[in-house]
Amino acid sequence: MQAGVLKPVLAVYTALFIAFLYGPFIVLGILSFQSGPEGGPQFPIIEWSTYWYRHLFGLVPPSRVAPLPIGDSLIRSLALAFMTMVVSTVLGVASAQAFRQKFRGSGPVFYLIVLGMMVPGVLVGLGTALLANLVGVDRSWWGTAFVLHVVYTYPFAFLVMLAIFNRFDRSIEEASWSLGVSPVTTFRKVTFPVIFPGVLSAMLFAFTLSYDEFARTLFTSGPRLTLPLAIYGTFAVEIHPNVFAFGVLTTLFSFALLAVYAILMMRSVRQSRQVSAEAA
Amino acid sequence: MHDLELINVGKVYDDGTVAVAGFDLAVEKGEFVAFLGPSGCGKTTTLRMIAGFETITSGDVVIKGRNVSDLPPERRPTSMIFQNYALFPHMNVFENVEYGLKVRGLAKAERQERVGRILDKFGLSAIAQERADNLSGGQRQRIALARGLVVEPDILLLDEPLGALDANLRRVIQDELKILQRELGITFVFVTHAQSEALGLSDRVVVMSNGKVEQISTPRELYTRPATPFVAGFIGANTIFRGEASQGGAPGRCRIDTRFGPMEGVGDAGALAGRSAIIAIPSDAIAVHPAGWSGSGINTVTSTVLSRDVVGHIGHLSLALDGAEPILVESHVDRFAGLQAGPGDTVTITWEPERSSVLAA
Repeated sequence: MQAGVLKPVLAVYTALFIAFLYGPFIVLGILSFQSGPEGGPQFPIIEWSTYWYRHLFGLVPPSRVAPLPIGDSLIRSLALAFMTMVVSTVLGVASAQAFRQKFRGSGPVFYLIVLGMMVPGVLVGLGTALLANLVGVDRSWWGTAFVLHVVYTYPFAFLVMLAIFNRFDRSIEEASWSLGVSPVTTFRKVTFPVIFPGVLSAMLFAFTLSYDEFARTLFTSGPRLTLPLAIYGTFAVEIHPNVFAFGVLTTLFSFALLAVYAILMMRSVRQSRQVSAEAA
Repeated sequence: MHDLELINVGKVYDDGTVAVAGFDLAVEKGEFVAFLGPSGCGKTTTLRMIAGFETITSGDVVIKGRNVSDLPPERRPTSMIFQNYALFPHMNVFENVEYGLKVRGLAKAERQERVGRILDKFGLSAIAQERADNLSGGQRQRIALARGLVVEPDILLLDEPLGALDANLRRVIQDELKILQRELGITFVFVTHAQSEALGLSDRVVVMSNGKVEQISTPRELYTRPATPFVAGFIGANTIFRGEASQGGAPGRCRIDTRFGPMEGVGDAGALAGRSAIIAIPSDAIAVHPAGWSGSGINTVTSTVLSRDVVGHIGHLSLALDGAEPILVESHVDRFAGLQAGPGDTVTITWEPERSSVLAA
């Protein structure tokens, strides 16, 4: 295509992309500063205020709007995401390491692992709930839901690590063995530090996917709700801007996490660059 | 006792491909041995079997009298130097070299002393704290050598260690390697596809092709006495004629009847007679005589000059042989009158039987 045509098309595309990406967030952000407790999710803003932020932390006098039931569910979601992140990343690193060599049945095993992220969440969730009923296991966020979260996020961690190992120069491991270092120590002292940026990415994937997982959790978490379920529950009555205020805060929290990730990444990116330069 | 022995070593991959077959070699302590051959000939596979990175399908690897065939790489007294250096990217120069000693649990003071000494020796002390990616190829090569040698291996294995360096640096590092090896008295096994490296560095060369050993001998002997047609074609610049071997000629020699008449070279007439054979003549054994040369005798071929090309004081003549590939003759321009001939002129080439070899084809 002619560069003269391509440029405006790309510009429009990019603008639309950004609009759809950030548009919802901007709307939420504006609405979170609605006045309370009468103000609802509508434009125009009646009056700018931080009422709903204070409401979130119980700093306003009691009103007809009940406080958001996030306290326990937030802790539950964070704990679940953390557990999922640790288990999925360990599994992902270990199985990607195994896939560095061709083994009998590696093809089917690969698709079995990846299946976990392909199957529709609602179906797996429902199926797991029925299965749990059948075998008489109580559903809980730390049991049935946790297992499903791992099944779902493990393939992502696995694929990330597979890509990292693909670019990994294995002669540095051989160099280590040849210096008299056992494979286990070599993995700890050479392999792991070099693949660490990839491990961070795998952890980030697993954590965020688990943190806002809805469909699978809906059927399997039992009576104690995770954060996405708790928030969804409040919608059933009436939507108040306190949800938006909470959304803004969690997003800022996510950005903070990303910043930490970026800093860690920058510290090790120099090393990975070096690896690829040496492999070239 | 030999430092390294390969006894009938073979490697067959799972898919049935034979990578190496029947490799026999005994290396003395302090010897510098090169594996030379085209890519895919099995030389690197053999080196990796010595290091323990590849399993051995048949035969044994014995180091200082101990059979190490079933030992993992970390329990063999070998160090490997890789073509891409394989430096640890997350460590600086000092840490790279220190690594092997540190994992072995050597006391800090001794570690630092040994690492410091070897960094000094390789001229790396000034850059000890730098990360390897800021350094030049030559420096990285030296770091890799220091790292491999600081653990005091019995045998140093080098896999095309000069391959990634530019030509000038290759020359310098090549000289350094040679001096280093003499000084340390450690056995070096070196893999390369570059003749100049193998012939310039090593005490003995193992020429390989298609997974088999073609010849094991000193560099000089590879030039003067190729043992197989492959070596005759691969090493140096031999002129080769095909024909059938026959009895006759002086003791220790073999006759061969070619399209250009009977010829004679060193060979076992008893074993070769009646079989198809080749005669290989090193380029510098060939004398070129101008038209009208009056000599005669065996090993005389007359032909026409196709082209002449002089680089400095070295003359190259391309000679036409009817129906066969042209012969290239190379010599000092002043050495033979025939080298003055131009295209179209007739010349006669001769060589002493003693300097050519008759080999089974």
